[in-house]
Amino acid sequence: MNAPKIVSFEGAPREPVPVPLARADELGIEQVLDADGLPRGNRPDPDLDRATVVKMYETMVTVAALDRIGWQLQRSGRMEFWIPSRGQEASHVGSTAALQPTDWIFLSDREPGSCLWRGASLTRMFAQFFGRADEPLKGRRLPLLLGDRSLNIVPPTTQVGSYIPHAAGAAWAAKLRGESTRFIVYFGDGATSRGEFHSALNFAGIHHPPIVFLCQNNGWAVSTPNDRQTASPTFAEKADAYAVRRVRVDGNDPLAVYAATAEALAAMPEHGATLIESVTYRMGFHTSSDNPDLYRRDDEVASWQEWDPIDRTRKYLHHRGWWEDDQEQALIESAEAEIRAGVKEAEALPKATPESQFEDVFESSNWMLDEQRDRLLEDLATGGAR
Amino acid sequence: MSAEMTVLQATTAAMARALDDDPSVVVMGEDVGVVGGIFRASQGLQQQFGEQRVIDTPLDEKGIAAHAIGMALNGLRPIVEIQFSGFIHDAFEQIMFCGTKYRWISGGEYTCPMVVRAPSFGGIKGGFWHSQSPEAYFVHGGGMKVVCPSTPDDAYRLLLAAIADPDPVLVLEAVPLYRTLSGVVEDDGIPGEIGQAEVVRRGDDLTIVTYGPPRHLAVRAAEEMAEREGLSIEVIDLRSLVPWDRATVSTSVRRTGRLLVLHEGSQTLGFGTEVVAAVQEHDFGYLHCPIQRIAGHDMPYGFSIGDEYYRPSIERIRAAVRRSMEFEF
Repeated sequence: MNAPKIVSFEGAPREPVPVPLARADELGIEQVLDADGLPRGNRPDPDLDRATVVKMYETMVTVAALDRIGWQLQRSGRMEFWIPSRGQEASHVGSTAALQPTDWIFLSDREPGSCLWRGASLTRMFAQFFGRADEPLKGRRLPLLLGDRSLNIVPPTTQVGSYIPHAAGAAWAAKLRGESTRFIVYFGDGATSRGEFHSALNFAGIHHPPIVFLCQNNGWAVSTPNDRQTASPTFAEKADAYAVRRVRVDGNDPLAVYAATAEALAAMPEHGATLIESVTYRMGFHTSSDNPDLYRRDDEVASWQEWDPIDRTRKYLHHRGWWEDDQEQALIESAEAEIRAGVKEAEALPKATPESQFEDVFESSNWMLDEQRDRLLEDLATGGAR
Repeated sequence: MSAEMTVLQATTAAMARALDDDPSVVVMGEDVGVVGGIFRASQGLQQQFGEQRVIDTPLDEKGIAAHAIGMALNGLRPIVEIQFSGFIHDAFEQIMFCGTKYRWISGGEYTCPMVVRAPSFGGIKGGFWHSQSPEAYFVHGGGMKVVCPSTPDDAYRLLLAAIADPDPVLVLEAVPLYRTLSGVVEDDGIPGEIGQAEVVRRGDDLTIVTYGPPRHLAVRAAEEMAEREGLSIEVIDLRSLVPWDRATVSTSVRRTGRLLVLHEGSQTLGFGTEVVAAVQEHDFGYLHCPIQRIAGHDMPYGFSIGDEYYRPSIERIRAAVRRSMEFEF
């Protein structure tokens, strides 16, 4: 992403933090793939079937293409906002892949691959990004704050981490009714500082809801690095205080993330919740309104490129003999074509209307809202310049 | 079956009825189970319906509200007790920026039918944190229905209505009336209507619009001023703030031409401010005098004399009525 460099500013970016994935054993990070994508890590290859790994890879590549195109749309003024997910593809696609389609997902904002994995329509996704009317979210949410009930995906309440106990409460409800549905909630490293994270783990230690708390530790909460977020050596160990099962995993290794999630699901009858700290890295900006040059150095970002989740997965596929070079270009081309078709269709849809914003405040509107809506429409009609 | 019930017993009866009728109803909060809540509003319910339905939680208002939201998203109808409404503010963001917004942010795909019961109001020598009237915070910004019962029958029927409602409802319960006011309640499971005011007393000279415990003070003042000063005062108990019953207020004010708004919550941007603004906007030409308001003050509620001087008193009501009646242009 070629943003203009800021040449003068107060302070200076921090010294780069070495990539923790290079010291996985020492740091207690479960890892299947090494930097070269070979299954030589500290835990065995889960030996997933070819179709699953190829679908994970294709989804990850599509997420990266979506991120590229979304960024261009924002930078060229066709879309108001963008939240990049580059670098975190394995972390969310690997964990979503371990779930059943009936399991509920509570999204954060860097998991478009969770929607794609479940077959979300790109047109619907871009209708959300563009704030179009013919989309259930009706232009009310910032781009990437996705949700889709038909896919069992709950959109996030925007305050970081505020929804972690919503997911746990939903899981608790399922448990109270004796249902077998499982739940996952995505959040970042910064969210672990919020009270809701601690509320959710505290309640979960007592009541054992069937949930995976998936902390995507991407190194940065906007400009705040891990060691300014917490003095705990890891985010995972925060679970110990609440007697919640926990694991730390290489978040740029889809096989390790898949295996850790599958184990968390298998452990639910005994333990209920698991906190997974998925150690990954945000390669892009926090959002399109961010400027990471103010707080981190390019060489830190570059050092993570050696651990790129997409490169490692492709190398693994080659190693298994499941992927040919000519498939790569075809995949990128078809992903981009599909995305551009979604953009085109969504851009052609009408914008959300002012009156539609008054819907869904309550199931049935009331005279207060009706009067405010009618007054708005009347004033818009009669308040023109004379 | 009809019985004489206190406000507290009517509250318990409504929860028992809901737990019995609807397996998706759960009661949760601090100390609500084994001891039945610090006011005993849920006394006996855990024994009757079990620990899975009446749940003692950690001491964490934010966490209680947030987990209830999640339960509601997944088909339960949680009734949350916040021990005192002075402690609700830790859960404010959860209630007002999460629970009340899910329907809207998901375009109606996810909904949050939860009830938050908040024991409120002064009169028990509780000091600041145990004498709160937090309604104004919750009527602002949308998505929350707010009701304020102050009779045994309203406590029963508005709580049932809140539980049956498809959206979040805050029930501000009248702590000082819990054990001091009783009346006959028919335990028939029929919910009241949220948004319907009650004309408690008919009158022609002046309208008092109120809700919560001051309703009873207003009636006392009206009766006394009728007897001693020959004044005919109408008293309207709003009972519900979102939505509120502007039509009933408007009809009354157009007849009496004089309005006093009365509540315990702080004056500035208290709910009375909305009533005053709406009446001046819709009924301006019918007013004989400026609208009066009696409210709590923009400061904390003191322990030793707050019950007498922070809360509206009969002296302040009389003075405000006289200001209206004696006003000359």
